[in-house]
Amino acid sequence: MKSFLALTFALSTALPLMAQDVGARLDGRVQPEVRRAVQEIAADAAAHGLPTDPLVEKAIEGGAKRVPAERLIAAVRALAGRLAGAWDAVRAGGLESPTADVVEGGADGLSAGLTAGYVSELVRASRAPYDPALVLRVAATLAALGVPPKQTVQLVEGMIKDGGSPSELLGLPGEVQAGVADGATPAQAAEHVGHGNGNVPPGRPPDFVPPGQAKSHKHPANPHKP
Amino acid sequence: MGLAGDATDGEVVRSVLGGEVERYAVLVHRYRDRYARYAARMLGSLDAGEDAVQDALVRAFDRLADCREPEKFAGWLFLILRNRCYAERRRRQREGRPLDERDDGVAAADRPDGTFEQTEQMRALERSLVHLTPEQREVFVLKHVEGLAYEEIAGRTGATVASLKMRMHRAYDRLRDLMKEHL
Amino acid sequence: MSLGYHPLVKQLLDGELSLAELPPELRAEGAEALRLVGAVDRAPVVLSPALDDRVMAVVRRHAASRTRRAWHWLTSPRDVELRLRLRPAVWAGALAVAAGMALLLLARAPGTTLGPAPVARSGAHDSVFVRFVLYAPGARHVAVAGTFNQWDLNAAPLARAGTSGVWTTTLALPVGQHQYAFVVDGERWVADPAAPAIDDGFGRRNSMVAVTSRGAHTL
Repeated sequence: MKSFLALTFALSTALPLMAQDVGARLDGRVQPEVRRAVQEIAADAAAHGLPTDPLVEKAIEGGAKRVPAERLIAAVRALAGRLAGAWDAVRAGGLESPTADVVEGGADGLSAGLTAGYVSELVRASRAPYDPALVLRVAATLAALGVPPKQTVQLVEGMIKDGGSPSELLGLPGEVQAGVADGATPAQAAEHVGHGNGNVPPGRPPDFVPPGQAKSHKHPANPHKP
Repeated sequence: MGLAGDATDGEVVRSVLGGEVERYAVLVHRYRDRYARYAARMLGSLDAGEDAVQDALVRAFDRLADCREPEKFAGWLFLILRNRCYAERRRRQREGRPLDERDDGVAAADRPDGTFEQTEQMRALERSLVHLTPEQREVFVLKHVEGLAYEEIAGRTGATVASLKMRMHRAYDRLRDLMKEHL
Repeated sequence: MSLGYHPLVKQLLDGELSLAELPPELRAEGAEALRLVGAVDRAPVVLSPALDDRVMAVVRRHAASRTRRAWHWLTSPRDVELRLRLRPAVWAGALAVAAGMALLLLARAPGTTLGPAPVARSGAHDSVFVRFVLYAPGARHVAVAGTFNQWDLNAAPLARAGTSGVWTTTLALPVGQHQYAFVVDGERWVADPAAPAIDDGFGRRNSMVAVTSRGAHTL
């Protein structure tokens, strides 16, 4: 409770400044009523420790797309809701004070159809060296590609368990997409996407030892005598 | 011009890049069979393996300029072949052509020196290998057919030793299950 | 489903233990496991002698051809890859506009020379050049807008590439995750049908791209 009070005190001084900043960024890009509404939504979000940049960006996007004011405001409000949901889910996954990156990743995941439970699970699975923001983004992208949520989570967690590198993780959506481009459904493509399946590019050969000439040509002791 | 065996891989690569296209035949000859077994095992048949090796050699030529360490052409070619095998396998799965649809697999059933039982087991194991995941199959082939150590496999494929062992151990369990009538 | 092998037996198979080092009660299982793995065929495989000639024949053709062709069987997204898919779409009450396709150059290894246009890493900053391509033959004006340019319709126009109906532009995108869409004739928003699409909250879809310091990833 003490920390909450400290937080609100700190924010009560910071909020007017932030509101100004939001206002400045939206000026001329959205209608005045939209600007006012988004400033309020952003202030509320900030008071809850949520990132506000995504809200401003979404408003700017809506302005550029000439979305009617009511709809735009509703969308920004919905996004704020998802950010809040993501924040809860990420904290439930074990991250005490999540960074904006992670919360946004979680919100992306929710937007793409993952449940809050899955978001928490993915965060839990993201021990070092896996950045939870990256894990969530990859999962959100896979879900956005049409891979069913449960399969998405299994695929991502499977790669983490198998010790795939963050690069391999980042490559998962591309693999699925390649499969889809060749005619598989997203679910099918995800089934076939393995870990470590040939995604080391030519041009960077490892220290190569030819078969049969391996200096430590290790057959298990006494093994395969028929 | 010296014998094909004289020049190092790096020297040949550099001369091909310098315009002596015909010298690529040296590398083709040198490596055509080296990974044949790996490719044939990964894809389940000699024909498929041969196609893969052929394509990989052509691809390696096309991208020779990307081979940043010409002396390590062999490892680089292996990676190209490996990518090709995985892509082929993905394509076959999408087309509903699983690997074991090919005629007789690579198991040399006509081993003059083996007993019938050994040959049967060998065939059974070949058939079972087809049912592993590509990653499991690869680690099994690289370790137990090609005779590489885990560290070497890790170096070649970019996987960690830990994940390779995990895959291999799953493969052992799967093979045990698949081979139960033969054990 | 039979029980898997005991972990010590697996170590035996891995060559980390010998049969004698196994506890007595596991030795039978160990011997069985060794027989299983021992059944593997290790005979070297020799390919057809004609292979050399076949390879060299193709190699000579490639060397002689003036333009390098992309080989699509190695469809690794890490290669530079051109994907143009034409899906005819009829827009209600409007001109038919062929479906858009964004091309993202996905260069993993810098210095790659194959493909229509290499992606280079920009010098000072953490950003990567990404090329966008849209097939829109009926369009008069095409732009790409996204989180990287604050959805400014005018910030990133595409230019026609010849008369084929293809529009392109190359942008330096900072590292991170971005959403974007194409804007045709200043008012029609087109997402990339092949890219992961995410609900934009306004009833349309945005496309996603993730840019890392090693290149752009298909999203």
